[in-house]
Amino acid sequence: MSLSPSNLTSMQPTPAIATPLLDAAAARFGAAGLFLVAAFADGTLAYHDSSAGGFFLKYVVPALRQPTIIGAASLLGGAAPALVEIRRSIPGVLLAALPSIDKRHAPIRLYLAARDESFALTEDVLRLCGKLSLDSAWLLQQSRDLPSLNESAMQRQSRLFITVLRDQLRIGGLEAELCSVSEQLAATYEELSLIYQVSGGMKINRSPVEFFKQTCMDVRAVMGARGIGVALRSDAQRQLEPALYGSITLAPDQLARLADDLIRAVAERRGPVLCNALAADRRFDWLAASAGQVLAVPLQRHEQVMGCLYALDKEEGEFDSADAKLLNSIANESAIYLENARMFEDVRGLMMGLMHSLTSAVDAKDAYTCGHSERVALLSRHVAKELGISDSEVEQIYIAGLLHDVGKIGVPESVLQKTGKLTNEEFDLMKKHPEIGAKILQDVRQIQQIIPGVLHHHERYDGNGYPARLAGEDIPLMGRIICLADCFDAMTTNRTYRRALPIEVALAEIRRCAGTQFDPRLAEVFLRTSADRYRELLRDHQQQSKRILDVRESLIAK
Amino acid sequence: MSQKTILVADDESHILSVVSLKLRNAGFRVLTAVDGQEALDLTLSERPDLLITDYHMPAFSGIEVCQRLRQAGVKIPAIMLTARGYNLEPAETSQYGIVCMISKPFSPRHLLTTVQEVLERGVASTGTSEAA
Repeated sequence: MSLSPSNLTSMQPTPAIATPLLDAAAARFGAAGLFLVAAFADGTLAYHDSSAGGFFLKYVVPALRQPTIIGAASLLGGAAPALVEIRRSIPGVLLAALPSIDKRHAPIRLYLAARDESFALTEDVLRLCGKLSLDSAWLLQQSRDLPSLNESAMQRQSRLFITVLRDQLRIGGLEAELCSVSEQLAATYEELSLIYQVSGGMKINRSPVEFFKQTCMDVRAVMGARGIGVALRSDAQRQLEPALYGSITLAPDQLARLADDLIRAVAERRGPVLCNALAADRRFDWLAASAGQVLAVPLQRHEQVMGCLYALDKEEGEFDSADAKLLNSIANESAIYLENARMFEDVRGLMMGLMHSLTSAVDAKDAYTCGHSERVALLSRHVAKELGISDSEVEQIYIAGLLHDVGKIGVPESVLQKTGKLTNEEFDLMKKHPEIGAKILQDVRQIQQIIPGVLHHHERYDGNGYPARLAGEDIPLMGRIICLADCFDAMTTNRTYRRALPIEVALAEIRRCAGTQFDPRLAEVFLRTSADRYRELLRDHQQQSKRILDVRESLIAK
Repeated sequence: MSQKTILVADDESHILSVVSLKLRNAGFRVLTAVDGQEALDLTLSERPDLLITDYHMPAFSGIEVCQRLRQAGVKIPAIMLTARGYNLEPAETSQYGIVCMISKPFSPRHLLTTVQEVLERGVASTGTSEAA
């Protein structure tokens, strides 16, 4: 396209190309007579009009559209030059080249321009304008509005401009850096909050299924994965089945296979396994129909791999080392939980085993009361559950029921097994067992809470019981519950002094004694369960204990 | 929908950076303050749509900012950032327009969700957020 001065004057400026940093600097120096000109390799000039906010040029050069080239810190490298080279390629115009523009966009050079006193719109200037595609009308306008500069003032202003622009670029760079640091900080916060939350959920009495479900869902939200799963070694003590949470579903056999494959892979590597192209990986290509990417980390304590935690398919992009690091932190926390939960289970199992042995020993003193403590524990737990109290309280009442007669260890067998009526002295001995029981248990710190149940299971609601003659609500709840269960079991089993009564009769007796011997409210709760249901409960229990006995006997026989 | 303005007040600059970044990226206009006085002045002059304030700040606390705003008749919902485990009385919070509390360290993602909920519906579904 040829350009004559006539169509140049009528040329409308193209829309401004905003270059925020240059615009700001140019605006500040405009009043001093400086303006910016961008020169392209083909000779095109783009002039800057700070009042309109940007560069105008006839041909919009794509490079100038990218703010990076103007905003890049490389625009002005090094220290401010001691001397700026000033050219006079247009008569009456001073041009100062800005140093070291981005080398990748070398075709563009930026100049500061100002007019000197000799400037006039001569034929020469017009010809040059045509050659450079510069709008001569605008140039004339500028020449009228702007103060003129001599060479030394131009020199000074240019150096100042470069200094200001460089500082602004540095600030821009720092702002970008701050933004990226904040971005990283936000991600770190996210992870910190996740780890905090996971550790908060590490209560050992929480079931592993519940713990891992919550943990997997939390990790999934932070990491942005389509599925998060957990798998424990099948040869180790298995606390939970392989599980996968999220929007990916696998058939149980696939889930089990994935679990085994991943555990093997992390155990071999002793660290994270990352694969962003499952279809191309011989170990996992069978999974390609369901997922494309996997990241797995070991659940390990003391160098021992217990299982793995894994993520399938990142929602955006691919799994990277940051994801691996995050998942690893969560796995480390989870492994601590897992180990503690196992130890807790072991200790609990040991304690319960010892308690059952202890009660068997007590019951064994009297053939007639065989299994009595177990049944009282069972019935007490049943009532406690019906009351709707917390799980941990129910558990305590069960243990109290189990140990309620432990004090009978201190009562002579001649008294316990006597078939006839007890003398007053013998009955006094018998009445000591709650206190003896409480004494036996008082030094076991972990079961302090159950002592009231043991001590007060022979109190009566009307205050005529023993040992403390407590009445009504003064009797600890545990004691009142065990009292009911104890009497019910005594009535429904054979005793030295009479045969077992039918359950219906025992229930009628409980109704009759509600308010005198028993807490009427609890008696009502007890009677809510039908005779048939009680029969069922006790039969189930009997079968269960028989199985345990059978196993024990077969072990002894071996 | 016009752009909503949120004022974030915290004396810890890293919290300000993270929260501002997250909110700006989500398209909000964000103002920041580093103490109670600045938070109060800016809220009164700029009238943001939401206030996110730390509890412990120089000059005066986040709760005082909310109190003084109420005294000045300005009703702006507020989200309070607190140290973990620290909780205010529910009476105190609702009285001063505090719609929810988020304990530090918090999840920026969760904060953003809460902010969007508060601005859209005036309430936070998560309530007092312990599980941030």
